[in-house]
Amino acid sequence: MKQRLELKLNGEMREVFVEPWRTLAEVLRDELGLLGTKVSCGTGDCGACNVLLEGKVVSSCLVLAPQAQGREILTIEGLATPEGLHPLQEAFIEHFAVQCGYCIPGMIITAKACLDENPDATEDEVRLAMSGNLCRCTGYVKVTEAIMAAKEKMKKSVSGTGYGKGR
Amino acid sequence: MAEYKVLGKSVTRLDALEKVTGKARFCSDMSLPGMLYAKILRSPYAHARILSINTSKAERLPGVRVVLTGKDVLEKRYGLFVFDQYILAKDVVRYAGEGVAALAADSLDIAEKAIELIEVKYEELPAIFDPEEAFKQNPAAVVHPDLLSYQLGLFLTPQPVAERPNVAHHYKIRHGDVEQGFKEADLVLEGRFSLARIHHIEAEPHTWIAQRQPDGGITVWVGQQGIHLLKQYYTGIFGIPPSKIKVVAPSNVGGSFGGKVGLTADPIVISLALKTDRPVKYSFTREEMFKCGGTRIPAVIYIKDGVRRDGTLVAREMRLLFNIGAYSSLGILGVRNSNFGTMGSYRTPNLKVDSYGIYTNTSSALAFRGFGSNEVTWAIESHMDMLAEKLGIDPAQIRMKNFLKEGEPNPQGEIVHSIGAEECLKEVTKTVEWGKTPVKAEGLWRKGRGLAVANKYSMAPTAAVALVRILEDGSIELRHSADEVGQGAKTVLSQIAAEEFGLSIDRVRIVAADTDATPYFPASSSSRTTFQLGKTIYLACQDAKKQLFELAAPRLGVLPEDLETADGEVYIKSSPARSIRVKELFIVERPTSPQAFGAFLEERGEIVGRGVWNQPFVYENLKTGEIDPEAARKGLRAASFYSYAAQVTELAVNVETGEVKIEKVATAGDMGFPVNPKMCQQQMEGALGMGIGIALWEEMIMDEGRVLNPNLRDYLVTTFQDMPANQNVTLLMAPVPHKDNPYGAKGIAEVLVPPIAPSIANAIYDAVGVRITDLPITREKILKALKEKKR
Repeated sequence: MKQRLELKLNGEMREVFVEPWRTLAEVLRDELGLLGTKVSCGTGDCGACNVLLEGKVVSSCLVLAPQAQGREILTIEGLATPEGLHPLQEAFIEHFAVQCGYCIPGMIITAKACLDENPDATEDEVRLAMSGNLCRCTGYVKVTEAIMAAKEKMKKSVSGTGYGKGR
Repeated sequence: MAEYKVLGKSVTRLDALEKVTGKARFCSDMSLPGMLYAKILRSPYAHARILSINTSKAERLPGVRVVLTGKDVLEKRYGLFVFDQYILAKDVVRYAGEGVAALAADSLDIAEKAIELIEVKYEELPAIFDPEEAFKQNPAAVVHPDLLSYQLGLFLTPQPVAERPNVAHHYKIRHGDVEQGFKEADLVLEGRFSLARIHHIEAEPHTWIAQRQPDGGITVWVGQQGIHLLKQYYTGIFGIPPSKIKVVAPSNVGGSFGGKVGLTADPIVISLALKTDRPVKYSFTREEMFKCGGTRIPAVIYIKDGVRRDGTLVAREMRLLFNIGAYSSLGILGVRNSNFGTMGSYRTPNLKVDSYGIYTNTSSALAFRGFGSNEVTWAIESHMDMLAEKLGIDPAQIRMKNFLKEGEPNPQGEIVHSIGAEECLKEVTKTVEWGKTPVKAEGLWRKGRGLAVANKYSMAPTAAVALVRILEDGSIELRHSADEVGQGAKTVLSQIAAEEFGLSIDRVRIVAADTDATPYFPASSSSRTTFQLGKTIYLACQDAKKQLFELAAPRLGVLPEDLETADGEVYIKSSPARSIRVKELFIVERPTSPQAFGAFLEERGEIVGRGVWNQPFVYENLKTGEIDPEAARKGLRAASFYSYAAQVTELAVNVETGEVKIEKVATAGDMGFPVNPKMCQQQMEGALGMGIGIALWEEMIMDEGRVLNPNLRDYLVTTFQDMPANQNVTLLMAPVPHKDNPYGAKGIAEVLVPPIAPSIANAIYDAVGVRITDLPITREKILKALKEKKR
């Protein structure tokens, strides 16, 4: 009953055989060993498992793996390049946006989509875009600060928002 | 103040890089070869007799390896204070969510399928949910009819009440004479306050992997706190000797806030593992987190205060009714520890407190950030404003008038030391120009401002051991059992070692918490880590340095006391140019390459510095809650230390919808000494996010003991959009050093939560003149109160 899936995962073609009812989160974590994507609620309410599917934020716990057939997926593992961390990752470190860290991969992925779509996002717009990502540790203060700082860095950089391999 | 190189600096968190790249590993990420997956069948009824359980269909399902019911697990009850719980229910279930059967299978799919094949017949019994109903002398239902015959733990001596059959513990404070005090008072005011059932919402669901060992022992990997306490609990329950139990915490735990202290499914998972040679993994679903993963203790609090015209508090009487759930768990501790909150801030010449832990047919409470202080602070800090208003005194002034001072005895008799209540309040009121510029607005959105102060004890008894090893390249290895639940223990404790050895922090290595490798520490709970382990790491560093200097002294031709170390060198204090590199002290036995490091020391083999601190303390008299005055004079305390916080909240209330917008906040915290200021800010901001939710909307909606909103869509937590704009959050440090920590540092994580809800309630009163006494302060409650006020 397993079905062959081809995913453009973090810039690399990956082949995997899974039952069609598996969620994308399960396939990423259990089949492909990408444990950076976290599952916290399993019902699409918290944002911890967020990944980018064709550049759009999805809760990978709600997406059936076959829906990702042939499509491009970006997870937290695909964000840094051999040249270094993504400005969001750097800013999250510099601005002390990280505490227990369980929600952080989903936060960074959502923030990337937010800034890709709206490179001039205001604090209010960032808060709106991020409001589906829940965090119990940070109160969102330094996370917001980090995203705003990353925004400035990304605007200044030559390649604009094109961080990550081919994305 | 001493000049530090690493302490007091906002050193980058050691765990940040792995967490932003997705490389950080948690227990829920772990798997072991041949691992089985567990599921637990849970009771749908709050109180019922189990008539029959049929597991045969589940057992026949291919891939199912172990199935257990109440008759297959240990005969005896267990508990942390009252031994009131079976590993799996026997005959009777006492809350909706209690484990009735458990199994382990080759895959989670099989386990999920199998658990549905187990058939249980129940006969419902009368149940009781409301703590005030359950408190009665003839309650409609008794949760544990045989309570008085149960075995009690030896620690903190639970005090059941024979004539109130649902009371598991009655704890008292009797200080002075409250009746006399009320007579002397110019104003006596009474109030009733309550707090909803709320949940910790840790991001990572609780996870365990347990594996039976060939020697009959067990290894348990836990996504929890307190490996050494867990080891003791497991020994006590299963009778496995401690030498055969190993508890390991993978280097990161995805949040706790108290919810991962103590026991939840541990005994069930271990029972499964003891029946198989394969490791067994179990994780709560999010729904299970709500149903059986612990709650804050819901409470009803009666308060009666007597004050003089000038605001001087002369008497306070409180009755605290804690709904500890069906099994007492840590609830007993909350009943006792809540009393510290009544004694830590204000001079109260006459204080009477009766604190009750009451069984109901609901899930067990656990510790929750601000354990016990949240509950009493909610009542006291609301009431202080109500008193101030009646007396026509400013809310800040009435508090200032009553704060305890350094050196005087608190109501318990403990001599007050390191009290930052006044400093915190001064900092926040100065910052917002309290009393100068009232915040008011007409129209739909009415504005208001409120303040509150809180204390949080850190509990005793408490002890910590730390080891510091000097490595062959001059780096330092730390062995301690702090939990990294996001609070930053790794970074702060490494900063201390780096400071003492004059090293950069990247030359400090941490051995992950493992009872086989890292020494005793109860848990990173009760805000104790920086204070307690910070001290023992300091002591271990001194011990290691002493040994190092003894080895280096003959090589440099001086005495050990003439030496100091920095950057991996030992040098003579009076002529720092004369030095020897630490690595030169190590013997290179097999020079496999020109760069080879030495492997051992000629004398001693290696240097291991030890630090231990068993905090001196005194137990209170259980009849009065007071401590022996002689012991107090000698400096013994009942609590380890107290931290303080104050908050001013500015907000707007929509008079048509009841909506509350938090607009501006100033928070001050007394952490003794901020070892890492940015990480102190992290605690303040995190507490703010949590505290706003607790104040305004967090609540587990219950119906006949069932949680109606066991998910993150219907249980509302604070989101990005609910917070004030970053520029409107002011965080202030008001450190008052503590003499028992070498740097003056105390904990800060918990105390920041308790003042938030009352500061918000006081601000709502300021804005629209309605006093809500029942948390959370929902829109409905505000609208209802506004309507009643108009009448």
